[in-house]
Formats: sequence, C-alpha cells, structure tokens
Amino acid sequence: MRIVLFGRNWKFTLARLAVLVVACFVIFRFVVLPIRVEGISMLPTYQNGSVNFVNRLAYPWHSPQRGDVVGIRLSDPSIMWPSVMYLKRIIGLPGETVAFVDGAVLINGKVLDEPYEKYGCDWNIPQVKLDPDQYFVVGDNRSMPSQYHEFGRVPRDHIIGKAVL
Amino acid sequence: MKIVLRVVLLAALIAVGVWLWTIIFPSPQKIIRQRLEAVARRASFAADEGTLARMANAQSLADYFSTNVEVNLDVPGRDGHTILGRDEITQAALASRSATSSLSIKFLDVDVTVGPDKRSATADLTVEARASDDLDLIVQEMKFTLQNIGGQWLITRVETIRTLSILDFEPARAAFIVGS
Repeated sequence: MRIVLFGRNWKFTLARLAVLVVACFVIFRFVVLPIRVEGISMLPTYQNGSVNFVNRLAYPWHSPQRGDVVGIRLSDPSIMWPSVMYLKRIIGLPGETVAFVDGAVLINGKVLDEPYEKYGCDWNIPQVKLDPDQYFVVGDNRSMPSQYHEFGRVPRDHIIGKAVL
Repeated sequence: MKIVLRVVLLAALIAVGVWLWTIIFPSPQKIIRQRLEAVARRASFAADEGTLARMANAQSLADYFSTNVEVNLDVPGRDGHTILGRDEITQAALASRSATSSLSIKFLDVDVTVGPDKRSATADLTVEARASDDLDLIVQEMKFTLQNIGGQWLITRVETIRTLSILDFEPARAAFIVGS
C-alpha cells in the first residue's frame, strides 16, 4: 500500500504529486466547477445540499440549448471564478417570445412540454420577447408564487456552463 | 553561484519592498474592499449579541455611509424598500436584529472601479445573506457607489441589480435582508 501511494523514489512521488495538484487546479478551475446546490428552486431535479459540477467547456462550439440546466453568474463577467451562481433551466432561446399562462410555458405561442416540472404551477407572466443574445431561464420548482422565484432573461455572457449531473 | 544567489536575494528584497509599499500606501481599491468587508461584518450579527453591542454595532454600521445615503432594495419575494440617511441605516440595522436572531452577510466577487477623479468609485458585488430563521440562502447582485469625503470612502448609494430580468423596466417588486 505504501509503495502504491508513495512509490519507491521520493523524487518521482513528488513529481506525481505536483502533476496531480496542477491537474486538479486546471480541471476544477477551467473545465468543471464544483458547486453545492442551495435552495429549493430546482427541485425535484436537484436537491438542496447536493453536489454538482458546471462544465465551462460546454458551449465554446455550440450555443446553449432549450432544456439545458446552466450555471449563471451574478457578478461581472470579468470575475473569472464567481463564488456563487444561479442554477436554472433554459426554456427560451434568443429571439423567441416566452409567456406563462396558468402555469404552462408558451414559446412563440406554443405550449412547451416540460417533463422535469413535477409540482404544478399557476403562474401568469405576460409575453416577453428575447433579444438576440438573451436566454430565458427558470427553476424546475414553480410551486411557489412567481415573485418568490428568481427567473427571467439572462444575457449569453452570464451563462458560465452546463450542469454535468 | 554567487550571482544567482544575489539575484534571488534582490528579487526577494524587491518583492518585500512592493508588499510593504502596498501595506503602507494601500490603493483606493484595497481601502474600499476593506471598508466593504467591515460593512458586511457590522451588518452581520450572532444570536448571542448583547444589548449594548447591538446598539454599538448598529451605530457603527451607519458610519460607513454618507449622511445623504440612498439605499434602494429590491429582492424577489420581499416588498421594495428605500432607506434614506444614516439614521434610517441604524434603524434598519436594529430592525433586522429584531426580525431574526442571527444574520450572516458576506460580500462576494467584489469588483471595484475608481473614477478618473479618484474621488468616486463603484463596487459591483454579490451579497450572500443567511438568516437563522430562513432556510434559503439569499444571494443578490448589488452596486455600491462611494465617494471620498473628508479622506474617507463613504457609501453614498446602494442599489440592487436584477441578474435575471423579466421586463425591460421592472417596478420595485421586493426588499432586502436588512430592515424588512
């Protein structure tokens, strides 16, 4: 066991340790951000206190898609590693109109099928037209009144990446 | 070898010198960050805070704001709230201590921009607040405007920023942790 962990040569062990530290730093800073989910707005998909990762490399080659759960920064995009972020689901894409009628989501006037929304919803939100760089995001748990739920339009540069789990 | 040692020593000396310089003559950004950290500490309180400490901390919180400060708070799920002047800051701090037994406030991801006149600045940050009675963590993007008045950076304006907007212009639809 000792040999597996530390090796026979302390120089190689140190080198392996250094590579491991650098790899962890790069992976958990630039590739996947570890996060802990706080709150109930993404129930039942994500439980309060659960651990997840946000893939920062999810969208360099293609745009965020409807249904993706994404991490959204609250801070200025100049902050490289934000301490907190929203975890929300994309339901509206750039240029579309989004509305809630008796809890049903209407995208360009058509009802959106949302199998992830389990608790029911009675929201009524007037139609919103999204700009060319805007997405509409909302949590999966819409059982509370809409004024208690953080949702709405978000510019593309505030989307950090896609939830991995 | 001697030359290498001398170069290393010189580099270390320069690094220590620069570090000391920033300690003795901190930049406005650093001063503002320190003051904002102090504001967060003063706004927070523990369940076992005594009556005298409660008054003193509420009073000292107001010292970080200008006399004509305007605080506009708009947090989802709460009534919109405006606080005007230092007295109302103190009252709001005391009211928050009556409303909940403990409150932890942190200012995260602080981005300070000092104006070209070096007398004004803005700080964009994320407030993270957790009240003992509230299961949910409250996070809110906020903008602080500060001015250098009498050699001190004082907060003259605080406003909430809606990260996720529904309409182009939203009337105040909520409030804040302190005071409501």
